Amino acid sequence: MATHTAEPAAGGAAAVEHLTLEDRIWLLRAMLLMRGLEERAMTLYRQGKVPGSFYDGYGQEAVSAGAAFAMGPQDRLCILHRDLAAHLIRGVTPARILSQYMGRAAGITAGRDGNVHFGDRRLGCVGMVSMLPDMMLVATGMAMAFKLRGERRCALTWFGDGSTSRGDFHEAMNWAGVQKLPVVFVLENNQYAYSTPVDKQYAVDPVERAAAYGFVGVTVDGNDVEAMFEAARAARERALSGDGPTLIEAVTMRMHGHAAHDDMKYVPKEQVEEWRKRDPIERQEARLRDAGVDIDALRAEIKASIDAAAEEALAGPMPDPGTATDGVFCTGEAEPLGDGQAPWSGFGAA
Amino acid sequence: MSSSPTDVLVDVTMPQMGVSVAEGTIVAWRVEVGHRIEADQPICDITTDKIDTEVPSTASGVVAEILVPVESTVEVGTVLARIATGAASPEQPLDGDNGGPSRTETQSPSTPTPRAGNGHRRYSPVVQRIAAEHGIDLSQVEGTGRGGRVRKQDVLAFVESAPVEEPPLHIESPYRPEPVAPVVDGGLSRMRRQIGEHMKRSLDTTATCTTWIEVDMSRVEAARARLGVTALAFVARATIDALREHPALNAWLEGENYTRVSDVNLGIAVSLGEDGLIVPVIARAHELSVEGLAARVKDLARRARARELTPDEVQGGTFTITNPGQYGSIMATPIINLPQVGILDFEAVVKRAVVVTDSDGNDSIAIRPMTILGLSWDHRALDGAVSAQFLATVKRLLESV
Amino acid sequence: MPTLTYLQAISAALRDELRADPNVILMGEDIGVFGGAFKVTDGFVDEFGTDRVMDTPLAESGIIGTAIGAAVVGMRPVCEMQFSDFISCGFDQLVNVAGKMHYRQGLAVPITVRLPSGGGFSGGPFHSQNPEAWFMHSPGIKVVAPSTAEDAKGLLHAAIHDPNPVCFMEHKHLYRRVKGEVPSGVFERPFSARVARPGSDLVVIAYGAMVPVALEATEDLDGASVEVLDLRSLVPLDEEAILDSVERCSKVVIVDEANATCAAGAQVAALIAEKGFESLDGPVVRVASPDVPIPFSPPLEAAVLPGVDRVREACRELLAY
Repeated sequence: MATHTAEPAAGGAAAVEHLTLEDRIWLLRAMLLMRGLEERAMTLYRQGKVPGSFYDGYGQEAVSAGAAFAMGPQDRLCILHRDLAAHLIRGVTPARILSQYMGRAAGITAGRDGNVHFGDRRLGCVGMVSMLPDMMLVATGMAMAFKLRGERRCALTWFGDGSTSRGDFHEAMNWAGVQKLPVVFVLENNQYAYSTPVDKQYAVDPVERAAAYGFVGVTVDGNDVEAMFEAARAARERALSGDGPTLIEAVTMRMHGHAAHDDMKYVPKEQVEEWRKRDPIERQEARLRDAGVDIDALRAEIKASIDAAAEEALAGPMPDPGTATDGVFCTGEAEPLGDGQAPWSGFGAA
Repeated sequence: MSSSPTDVLVDVTMPQMGVSVAEGTIVAWRVEVGHRIEADQPICDITTDKIDTEVPSTASGVVAEILVPVESTVEVGTVLARIATGAASPEQPLDGDNGGPSRTETQSPSTPTPRAGNGHRRYSPVVQRIAAEHGIDLSQVEGTGRGGRVRKQDVLAFVESAPVEEPPLHIESPYRPEPVAPVVDGGLSRMRRQIGEHMKRSLDTTATCTTWIEVDMSRVEAARARLGVTALAFVARATIDALREHPALNAWLEGENYTRVSDVNLGIAVSLGEDGLIVPVIARAHELSVEGLAARVKDLARRARARELTPDEVQGGTFTITNPGQYGSIMATPIINLPQVGILDFEAVVKRAVVVTDSDGNDSIAIRPMTILGLSWDHRALDGAVSAQFLATVKRLLESV
Repeated sequence: MPTLTYLQAISAALRDELRADPNVILMGEDIGVFGGAFKVTDGFVDEFGTDRVMDTPLAESGIIGTAIGAAVVGMRPVCEMQFSDFISCGFDQLVNVAGKMHYRQGLAVPITVRLPSGGGFSGGPFHSQNPEAWFMHSPGIKVVAPSTAEDAKGLLHAAIHDPNPVCFMEHKHLYRRVKGEVPSGVFERPFSARVARPGSDLVVIAYGAMVPVALEATEDLDGASVEVLDLRSLVPLDEEAILDSVERCSKVVIVDEANATCAAGAQVAALIAEKGFESLDGPVVRVASPDVPIPFSPPLEAAVLPGVDRVREACRELLAY
């Protein structure tokens, strides 16, 4: 495997080769729904309806929406906490997500875990753990199984710039490179790991490391949803063709604090202002408005769906305390992950 | 004051006889100031609302002070008397008269004080559970563990060897009077009427309770055959010895007057057929051997049936044994022969399958001649613990003949 | 029935599973061509190939983590830690990812982690540990520790069939010292305790390599009737069997080879204190290693690990109590 340097991905309107107008609207819808749900959840948090802390992906919606949109029904995903759009694309309903935030019985983990620490196993997703990037190894293992069984599928996971410092990052990258596995690693470089900027995290741009492990690394504008899609689609192609893993470095910016309690004083204001001009939703809206899409109607439709979801979630019960010790062990048959929703037109029937 | 100023004075205090007991009354002092007394020897008798007991001296020495007079009721922990041990206390010379030092200061290190935490007083959970289930007084169980600790196997062996004992404080009598004075065609004989009146008076007067114990008569049966005497003689001898050990039962209670009698004048109920029964008395029975008792019983029974007894020979009994067991009955609730306070019922000896434990602690089932001894006793004069202890003594004596 | 060593029984179980279920794969360091540090998988690659008897990178977190990934998409990975000591490098994946998966999201993680454990051969501080208590303390992970060849095979089959993460503690000291008749083919032994020898005066509760030690120590103990209870499974812990033995014997010696604090035996002792108190006729006695790393030099190691003499002495003391 030749060493690959980071390739700038196609941006702007040039990436639409594999996307229909409906696909492009889907991408915007996923991002709008993510932002709207997280804003609603933040309101609920301030109203005391969401326990614990609250983490969002404001400003990074394109990273999860674009990458997840490229994944097929039988592909498997390990989704990070600022990647809500990926869950929405796989088919998790807004009401279940708000229930999850509020620790209600109808949440995906039924109150056992909070925030975006979830994965709907019936939709082919594994929930993350807080030890980042543990899921890189899980995704690698899924890819290993696909390869052993000769299946044309891939696994994809997201992780942050802070994760590149940990051993599991190395173990997963190395393992995937050695075994040439069909896995897509999306490095969501949002400039800060909690308060630590990237220049304290690594000496070399981590995308360069892909070459060291023997596979392709690409850098993408993480605020361009169509570019994200295209990078992930190409990575998946590579994986399914037996050409091994890809590291996609999605360059983006965490526009909110690490969590609800974080005022982000450590981030220069100019940096935030600079990135605000590159808001992924505004960019996609501008493209679609040019293509004649009624953005206001779309926004209204999404707001209505969030209102309905909030109403449904708030009406749902809290979990029964009597179930707190249930389910530590599986007592029946082990059921592997199911298939997810895959709305991209490239998958035909979807 | 017989102690020197430098003597160590040890306090004797009002004991706590039960968790809820707060005070006690001095019934009698057994010593006077100046008397010599040994540690653990009774120094006085007390009564509480739970129990009457004696207070053992906490030290050996000379009674230096008696601080609480008879009939006085004082709180638990009150100093009742002080014993001058004769040991000098050079570091802390005491002025025994002025209020007194605290106990911890006064006790010399060599004073043998009972320690609540010693090995004999602590029982493991399983031992306590088994004891509770079987109503066993663990102080009766011999321990074979380290330092004499009662182990599980000890209490299990005890359960198998001993019948269930009553709780030590007998509160409610299970006794229910039976009809007395059987009807005889054509009215009652004079003797029957006399017996009836006597029995009825007993039931009306006494607070009669009956306690039973089961006894292995193997050794008695063997010895009886060897000596050619009746089992009753052995029971009589064991009863006499037990009465010496538990003198509360060898007594008369007439009205409020309770008199312990030093001699054992043993009454033996003798059936006179349909006419009734009579209780000749073996005076100073404690002076007789088993053979001697057997001979006296035989003689008295013969003369009773021959109506040859003198009035003296049916008076002055301090305790009675009744022995209808020759007809095969196994238990009875005898009626106390006033003014005595106890009567022992000896019924048939029958073979039963019992669990026996050999010296190695191995259990097996054996066929043994067994009998049930029943003791009716007057709850006015004594309590269940005494009667149970008395029966246990009789049992022990009979089983070790 | 063939007579197999403990190690051969483990090998046989793995071979039978690989033959029976195409989803079973073995993963570990040097297990393929080399056949494993203890030769448990010797010759396996010839029959099953290098994909199913996988020489992995030297990455314990990677082994556990990728096994989890494979398991959630339908595989039955059996991971080998070369020495159980190295599980510390895979601890996070096992405890946080595998152990909590089903509780959090209803996703079963059927992986088996084989942990060659224990000391007694101058392995030193990093090749002699008994780390089972770490995983007993981690919800969602089962822990088994066979002491016989038959149980080694039957429990390994059961572990591989189990839909949960299972730590399979295989004691190195038993590998070639323990032999027994072992049924051929796939069979399961339950995750429950086994009375290794019935008795009534005292029970020694042990597992793994301490079971033969307990049996030897109490074989002829002044005529006392000593029961030996082989726990076999630490999670789930067979409370019923433990309390039943305590009820009958009333005196208990618990033996761990692991160091004492918070060891498996501590949990057993706590259970007895909590639920068996009324049956006790003496203090619950524990025999375990002191809280030190396992030293290398033979006299030092012998001073630390519980052996026949220590167990016998503890039993004698308690019997006399």
